[in-house]
Amino acid sequence: MTGRVCRGCGGTDIELDAARGDAVCTGCGSVLEDNIIVSEVQFVENSGGGSSAVGQFVSLDGAGKTPTLGGGFHVNLGKESRAQTLQNGRRHIHHLGSQLQLNQHCLDTAFNFFKMAVSKHLTRGRKMAHVIAACLYLVCRTEGTPHMLLDLSDLLQVNVYVLGKTFLLLARELCINAPAIDPCLYIPRFAHLLEFGEKNHEVSMTALRLLQRMKRDWMHTGRRPSGLCGAALLVAARMHDFRRTVKEVISVVKVCESTLRKRLTEFEDTPTSQLTIDEFMKIDLEEECDPPSYTAGQRKLRMKQLEQVLSKKLEEVEGEISSYQDAIEIELENSRPKAKGALANLSKDGSVEDTASSLLGEEDVEDEELEAAASHMNQDFYRELLGSGSGSAEAAESPEGGSRALALESLLGPLPTAASLGISDSIRECISAPGRDPDTSGDGELDLSGIDDLEIDRYILNESEARVKAELWMRENAEYLQEQREKEARIAKEKELGIYKEHKPKKSCKRREPIQASTAGEAIEKMLEQKKISSKINYSVLRDLNSKGGGSPQREGTRPAERASSRRLSRRRTPASRNGADPGACVGKRLRPLVSTQTAKKAAMGEAVLPSPPALGAELVRPAAVLVESGPVSYHPEEDADEEEADEEDGEPCVSALQMLGGNDYGCDGDDDEGY
Amino acid sequence: MDADSDVALDILITNVVCVFRTRCHLNLRKIALEGANVIYKRDVGKVLMKLRKPRITATIWSSGKIICTGATSEEEAKFGARRLARSLQKLGFQVIFTDFKVVNVLAVCNMPFEIRLPEFTKNNRPHASYEPELHPAVCYRIKSLRATLQIFSTGSITVTGPNVKAVAAAVEQIYPYVFESRKEIL
Repeated sequence: MTGRVCRGCGGTDIELDAARGDAVCTGCGSVLEDNIIVSEVQFVENSGGGSSAVGQFVSLDGAGKTPTLGGGFHVNLGKESRAQTLQNGRRHIHHLGSQLQLNQHCLDTAFNFFKMAVSKHLTRGRKMAHVIAACLYLVCRTEGTPHMLLDLSDLLQVNVYVLGKTFLLLARELCINAPAIDPCLYIPRFAHLLEFGEKNHEVSMTALRLLQRMKRDWMHTGRRPSGLCGAALLVAARMHDFRRTVKEVISVVKVCESTLRKRLTEFEDTPTSQLTIDEFMKIDLEEECDPPSYTAGQRKLRMKQLEQVLSKKLEEVEGEISSYQDAIEIELENSRPKAKGALANLSKDGSVEDTASSLLGEEDVEDEELEAAASHMNQDFYRELLGSGSGSAEAAESPEGGSRALALESLLGPLPTAASLGISDSIRECISAPGRDPDTSGDGELDLSGIDDLEIDRYILNESEARVKAELWMRENAEYLQEQREKEARIAKEKELGIYKEHKPKKSCKRREPIQASTAGEAIEKMLEQKKISSKINYSVLRDLNSKGGGSPQREGTRPAERASSRRLSRRRTPASRNGADPGACVGKRLRPLVSTQTAKKAAMGEAVLPSPPALGAELVRPAAVLVESGPVSYHPEEDADEEEADEEDGEPCVSALQMLGGNDYGCDGDDDEGY
Repeated sequence: MDADSDVALDILITNVVCVFRTRCHLNLRKIALEGANVIYKRDVGKVLMKLRKPRITATIWSSGKIICTGATSEEEAKFGARRLARSLQKLGFQVIFTDFKVVNVLAVCNMPFEIRLPEFTKNNRPHASYEPELHPAVCYRIKSLRATLQIFSTGSITVTGPNVKAVAAAVEQIYPYVFESRKEIL
């Protein structure tokens, strides 16, 4: 094959054995590939003389790895996360799909949907079960199988609306347009469950005809298809002399009894219901009905109109009655002496006089007395309603109130509170100077124009009221307060005992900045400060390892720190300075095995033998002699002491330990071991 | 769009939600004790205050953020918010009325005809979604206006959007599509 390079020697001469399925480098002999999928067929002879084909079974979605001989139970071990997810999903889909009796093709399609969903990261943050159910339901819809979302939610014991939400999201994200549900799809399924025996087919056909009729009559828009099916099946059953009760039907169809009854009554309203059974089978009525909600709406409209007409008539009648009432009263008062005086007194009340008289001037003279009496009644009326609070408001509103005297009087029902107050406010607004711009967003000051302070004052309780309210609230929320008190007591007790653990909200791990240090020693120091080191490491030994001649104990102490962070630095600069550093060549080769043992975090000290990589950064590397130790480290302080001075970076024996400490960028791993 | 000019559709705004800040810490306990029209929800940490005049309900948090709902127009919402701030001022807090913003507007509109929902969904595929098993209306989203319309088969349409203009524009936009799938009354 062209372009293939051997990993071992870099040679390009690679031999491909199609029969065995191997790819071997002819230079160094390393096997680059085996178990290549080939299209040749080879046969081998069995012991019994027969022949069998050479080959292995490879699973469809596996990576083609050979399963362990005799094992195979750790199937998910070593696979990457994505493959695991897909495999899990596949298993779930099959499990759920078999319960729904879906065929293999549907399951495969569902799995494809699932793969698409995973690649679009739609499984993140959602329960796997929900996503799988949504995939399955999507397949059901596209294939047109008679499965309802309700069935899936039954199986999973999940709220159907939650499933619906996931399903809608999936359909939208995958840009799949699920065709609309046709209730006719459900008929055979429900009919089968209702056990009609031999007449199953006939009943189904009748129910289908009924459904189509319902569709034409606009009963099916916006309704659950299962409800319509239930109604159609019930009627069809009755038509064929099967006595199926409502209860049986609803247990099969999964709707509420009232829903079913409602559908039946709606159907009853259509003209089709008037036909006999035979007629229905033969004739198809041409006209279509309006949807039941429309007819209901029309009915409401008509009722409203009737009510309006009635109320108008009522007004007129009441007006007449009140006018008679007034006339009678006036007569009575007239019969008494000082009749006019009484009226004059009435009209002098408040500041109505001017307004009333002005109004009176407009009206006919005959009605003058009537008007005065009416306005007086209005005054009383208003006073009762509004109370003494808004006395000033009354005065303002009465001009308007007076003009509408008759109408308001006769209505008697609606409170003019809102109206009157609204008017007063608007009047105040007109009277007061045009306020500042309502656009006070930049200003921050509160624009008081149009705000009725008096009303707001009413919102504020005085002391006694506040006390009463406080008591009421305490009584209402007694349980909650009790809980709070218990919680406090519990916390106090725990604090005393010293085992109080405060559940702080989890703070996300911050990314630590890389340590900036001029010397390796400083760097190690800083690193040790930052990172909590595991307790499984024997620090004394580590320090001994680090210490190289002439080092004070403090320096020794800092050494491991320096070493560790220098290790860390080294790893970062390893690729760059691998080639550049001075004592590069001889140590270079040993670098590789070192790097590969990075993952063994708490590896034995035995590994701490190998010489340090020169790649500790060009500036750190001193051209001093590099001490290379090839055997296991002997923890002789003298020997190690020598090294100490030479170069910090050449902490050869403790390399891997340092790498353990500083070299692993696995985050806050050290924390796990603390206080175990 | 002939039908447009014939009929004037009434868009009725039923709810306007707005938020504003008082820039000062509010003592909920004090408000709860001294207000006549408040409900104190201590477990959640908020106070509900209802006003009668612009009929609004306000949720007050101790941080000073207030959400105001129930108004029937944008001006009314602002008016109610100001009244609320005024009443808080009267209770003794140093209230500053800032960051007033209308967040959501809910409106209802009635078409003079019924609508065939399955047909409508088919014609407006990506925007419209209809699940009769879950909800009897078609949910139509307009991304550019950030508005959502719920279209019922009776012809009634519920629109929610970030402000009144968006709502009106949404209704304008949807009218031709809905008109296509209307049901002719014989």
